[in-house]
Amino acid sequence: MDNVLEVKNLTKKFGKFTAVNNLSFNIKEGEVLGLLGPNGAGKTTTIQILLGIMNSTGGSIQYFGKDFNKNKEEIMKNINFSSAYISLPWWFTVSEILEFFARLYEVPDRKKRIKKLVEEFELSSLIHREYNKLSSGERTRLLLAKAFLNYPKLILLDEPTASLDVDIAVKVREFLKKEQKNYGVSILLTSHNMSEVEEMCDKVIILNKGEIIARDTPENLSKTISDSKVELLIKKDYKKALTFLKKTDMPFVQEKFRFKIKIDEHKIAELLILIAQEKIEYDEISIEKPDLEDFFLQTIGRQKHD
Amino acid sequence: MINFNRVFAMIYRYWLAMKHSYDRLGDMFYWPAMDLFIWGLTGLYIVKLSTNNQNIIIIVLTGLIYWLVIWRSQYEITTNLLQEMWDRNLVNIFASPLKVSEWIVAVMIFGFIKMVVTVSFSGILALILYSYPIFAYGLYTIPIILSLVLTGWTAGFIVAAFIIRFGQKIQTLAWTGVALISPFSVLYYPLNILPDWAQKVAWFIPSSHIFEGMREITFTGRISYDKLYISFGLNILYLFLALWFFNFMFNKTKKIGLDKQ
Repeated sequence: MDNVLEVKNLTKKFGKFTAVNNLSFNIKEGEVLGLLGPNGAGKTTTIQILLGIMNSTGGSIQYFGKDFNKNKEEIMKNINFSSAYISLPWWFTVSEILEFFARLYEVPDRKKRIKKLVEEFELSSLIHREYNKLSSGERTRLLLAKAFLNYPKLILLDEPTASLDVDIAVKVREFLKKEQKNYGVSILLTSHNMSEVEEMCDKVIILNKGEIIARDTPENLSKTISDSKVELLIKKDYKKALTFLKKTDMPFVQEKFRFKIKIDEHKIAELLILIAQEKIEYDEISIEKPDLEDFFLQTIGRQKHD
Repeated sequence: MINFNRVFAMIYRYWLAMKHSYDRLGDMFYWPAMDLFIWGLTGLYIVKLSTNNQNIIIIVLTGLIYWLVIWRSQYEITTNLLQEMWDRNLVNIFASPLKVSEWIVAVMIFGFIKMVVTVSFSGILALILYSYPIFAYGLYTIPIILSLVLTGWTAGFIVAAFIIRFGQKIQTLAWTGVALISPFSVLYYPLNILPDWAQKVAWFIPSSHIFEGMREITFTGRISYDKLYISFGLNILYLFLALWFFNFMFNKTKKIGLDKQ
């Protein structure tokens, strides 16, 4: 598979402050890359440089094998973006906004394309409503519809489902997956919703202070964390359980009859055997395996403490 | 290469913005009409006070209506740029295939159309109210208007360059920036009224040659082609420099990011 986007040693400095430091990554055709990081990590700066609305201090960007600076017009015809942090012309109706951007991107068959996207993002009933009268969720859907107008080969999404109702967010994710599967659309995604990133992304890059601190598939990143959480509801023997857990060196939190124990995934069986040997009877048990969020929190936390 | 589909997309965008904004529609008709009423009547009064010299009313109305050509040409460039900032839409349009040169052409064309509408409206009103013929200068009116449009565009892109760099905190310049050259443009008075130093400055202002030339026609009936050539020469040079300056400031702004404006 060819690289749709190739970023090499991308650097952005504001005076003495380095917002993005020597960033290199690529996105292949049909791939979904998640860009994660705490506030101020450099995600938005990176996206702005990739969209050509901010100049980098160093490094190179290639889209579809072509230099971005030299072929911006041609490249921008094939990419698009949506961000929860931008706006659209305030007094325009939904239909006028889509019509304007369809003209700007020279979308062939624009009436048909607009109709399809309006249906896809459930905007039909809002078509004559002004942008300023839309709810934040409706605005997000309109921004996404705008982002898909020009049949983009690569789409940059900054918090695409922020402020959406859960059911609409699910539909948006389904639409994104469908576009990716049917048309090989590549996606660069930033999100604070870790389950969304886990569900959508083939690869994840974690940024902190403008640098890449981790990159892999969401599964592989999660696997690097061995801490699981075991939650036990012990009503009858809770005092016995408390004494037993205090004797062990396992970190735990007690909320009345509920015990939340942080434990290495490989030691869960051993814990359960010990509980049985102590004749402690539990009423409920749940085991939570580590996920991307755990990895993210631990990685960022460690960075912060270092 | 300019892609005219994208240019027309931007014109369509600004037409929609005008359609939705009573302010923008009002600017086209309300203020020019008010100026005509007030200054036209003032001119009539001065004519009565003086020796019934009808040229006074012609000079006042000429200055008023033809200044609109400069003002509207400048205003459309700067307010359309501001419109993108107010709508937080700069990122959307410049993170698309649109080139800066295409945006420039779009605001020039759209501004020209609106200027023609406003000046025609003012001309018709002046004809009805004061029997003032806007095309009194015959075919010479066309180069006069073209030269003033170039002056307006030059002022527009210089002000727009500052606005793109410093943002909405200097947005008043969008309405007032061009006023800086109005005293030197000698709209209502002859060049020799100005102090020596100001006359020297006025020579470098293209519109001063146009308004001086128009007065010359009014009083002597003679057309001064020299003044027209000087005006065009200066305009072309300044417009070229203004476009370069706008492009320079646009790229400078991209160092901090267009979304910061």
